[in-house]
Amino acid sequence: MGPRPFFESLMKIRPFRIALVVVTSLIPLALLAILIFLARYSWPALTFNGWHFLAGHTWSLGNLYADPIKQRGVLAPIGADYGILVFIVGTLLTSAFALAIAIPISLGVAVFLAEGLRSRLRTPLSFVVELLAAVPSVVYGLWGYAVLTPLVAHTIGPGLRATLGFLPFFSGPIGSGYGLLAASIVLALMVVPIIAATVRDALAQVPSETKEAAYALGATHFEVVRRAMLPTVRGNIIGACILGLGRALGETMAVLMVSGGALNYFPGNIYSPVTTMASFIVSQLDSAMQDPTGMAVRSLAEIALILFIISVITNIIARLLTGTSRNASPV
Amino acid sequence: MLKKTSRYPLHAVLGGAVLALAAAGILSSPSAAARTLSVTETGSTLLYPLFNLWVPAYTRSHPGVRINTQGTGSGTGISEAISGVAQIGASDAYMSNMQVKQNPAILNIPLAISAQTVNYNIPGLNRIHLKLSGPVLAGIYDGHIRYWNGPAITRLNPGVRLPHHLITPIHRTDGSGDTFIFSQYLSFSTPYWNSHVGYGTTISWPAVPGGLGALGNPGMVQAAAQTPYSIAYIGVSFTKEVDRAHLGTALLKNRAGRFLLPSQKTVGAAAAQLVNKTPVDERISLVFAPGAESYPIINYEYAIVNSDQRSAAMATALRQFLSWAVDTRGGNARSFLRQVRFIALPARISALSRKQIAKIH
Repeated sequence: MGPRPFFESLMKIRPFRIALVVVTSLIPLALLAILIFLARYSWPALTFNGWHFLAGHTWSLGNLYADPIKQRGVLAPIGADYGILVFIVGTLLTSAFALAIAIPISLGVAVFLAEGLRSRLRTPLSFVVELLAAVPSVVYGLWGYAVLTPLVAHTIGPGLRATLGFLPFFSGPIGSGYGLLAASIVLALMVVPIIAATVRDALAQVPSETKEAAYALGATHFEVVRRAMLPTVRGNIIGACILGLGRALGETMAVLMVSGGALNYFPGNIYSPVTTMASFIVSQLDSAMQDPTGMAVRSLAEIALILFIISVITNIIARLLTGTSRNASPV
Repeated sequence: MLKKTSRYPLHAVLGGAVLALAAAGILSSPSAAARTLSVTETGSTLLYPLFNLWVPAYTRSHPGVRINTQGTGSGTGISEAISGVAQIGASDAYMSNMQVKQNPAILNIPLAISAQTVNYNIPGLNRIHLKLSGPVLAGIYDGHIRYWNGPAITRLNPGVRLPHHLITPIHRTDGSGDTFIFSQYLSFSTPYWNSHVGYGTTISWPAVPGGLGALGNPGMVQAAAQTPYSIAYIGVSFTKEVDRAHLGTALLKNRAGRFLLPSQKTVGAAAAQLVNKTPVDERISLVFAPGAESYPIINYEYAIVNSDQRSAAMATALRQFLSWAVDTRGGNARSFLRQVRFIALPARISALSRKQIAKIH
């Protein structure tokens, strides 16, 4: 309770209090500002596209070299048709597969770093894992583009088809290596250090009483980790996965370089080319800027708005999950 | 509470900062910068290598100018030239009528002529030049022609044993002047493509299962090289990379019905056909030109420049540089263009370009 009286006396000083309130409210305000900006900027696109935006699977900027005409009350290029269902599906699929690959690996890494290592090696190896999280995404993209895609086409893809080919989504033509599988692997690599580092920190915080109590009951080392430690940090694990999901949903450059840029069709199997929302915004912006009516850029902003909403929804779901798991947890 | 004991009161510090900023502003403002003037060029990645050859040579003889080059994409080039972020926007595509109407002060100035090849990776057949036409390419890219030994391709290539293998059409994912001229070739030669897909720097590619998107010309070369039975369209300045990847290059059918490869002669012949049709604002497609010797996919590479510059010094610098660029003793010399496989502007076109350059003030 040492610092408490000092802190309380500090809070009595008005300017300090006000400053804290201002600083604290900056973050939600910034979030709100982004949302309002996106909604306002994409408003013409929202009215022009309607629900078709979410349900349509054709994306066409229309004829940018003919004079635009008034359609549905606004000026838009002839033939303009903005439907993003393909990109929503691509975003969710790449993120889901990335997490499916990343979660078991990162939990293994975290447990190994926290429990399976001598303390002398723990710090440098943990540092390396954290360093991986700091590698710029374009570096992963470049690696994926130069090394991973041929590997997927000639080794990983055929291997996966030979083992899991009985599942419909894993059979069929493997193609060139660019696609859903390559994008998911690259994303998984970027997500593993985030989840592993967060979970490792949480495992290190597990009180020694909890561990010792389990040992006293005759549990083996493995059982201590599985029955006592992992349940204690369940909330942290889910939180870490959400952090990872956030990164996967929004990743742009690395995905763009390996995804194969599918347009107007859904992936037929895990080797098919895909496009994600974030990478699509980047790849289309250059051409969209040539639309004299501005409808193309505003529709890209609408994609950003939808991506923003999807991120918020997944975050809320995750919060709810962590909340219930904490209540249900015996610890 | 803090008393004003600080040696540098806040307003004094701020004032000093403002003064310093103002001083920096004066230094970089063109009126006082007789020593170096900074010109920003951004846009087309096809023109980017040429600018990188031009700039060191030009600035060596013109020490008063510094030119920064960036390869960002034609759309960015056009929009940053309009907004004034860049003084020269490089673009493979000319501006649309509507864009010109909205921005009457912006000029489209051809700097050189480029071309495009259609390349394929068919194991065993990359050493021979397959014959392909606009309608056949349109069929491949819209999914009507699925196999290499489909009747439409076999008919064009009698005597060639084509494999029964699915074709993987590769297109550009990013906005690109290459997509612009390739889709123009398909549009101008195939009415069906023109009415259903059309042309642009990105187009709504018909869904061909397995069809692939690649990033930039280097991405096109890499994707084609590592995907057997694929086909791609690649800017001619990447011919060296195409050859290194051992891709095949197609003979393309021109308007007169002849199958040709791009060369100094065939690209020059196509350009010559349209010299007299080029309007004074020089916005014209050179794709699918008439004439027996005309290679079908060529284009002007443009500098997009605002004729209404903020300072006289900048206007002068731009006029000087661009005039040098379109001159055959300057930037249009064969020693430069040969390296990126562009060809020089015909005399009448460089005269038109010079007339537009003179409007910059």
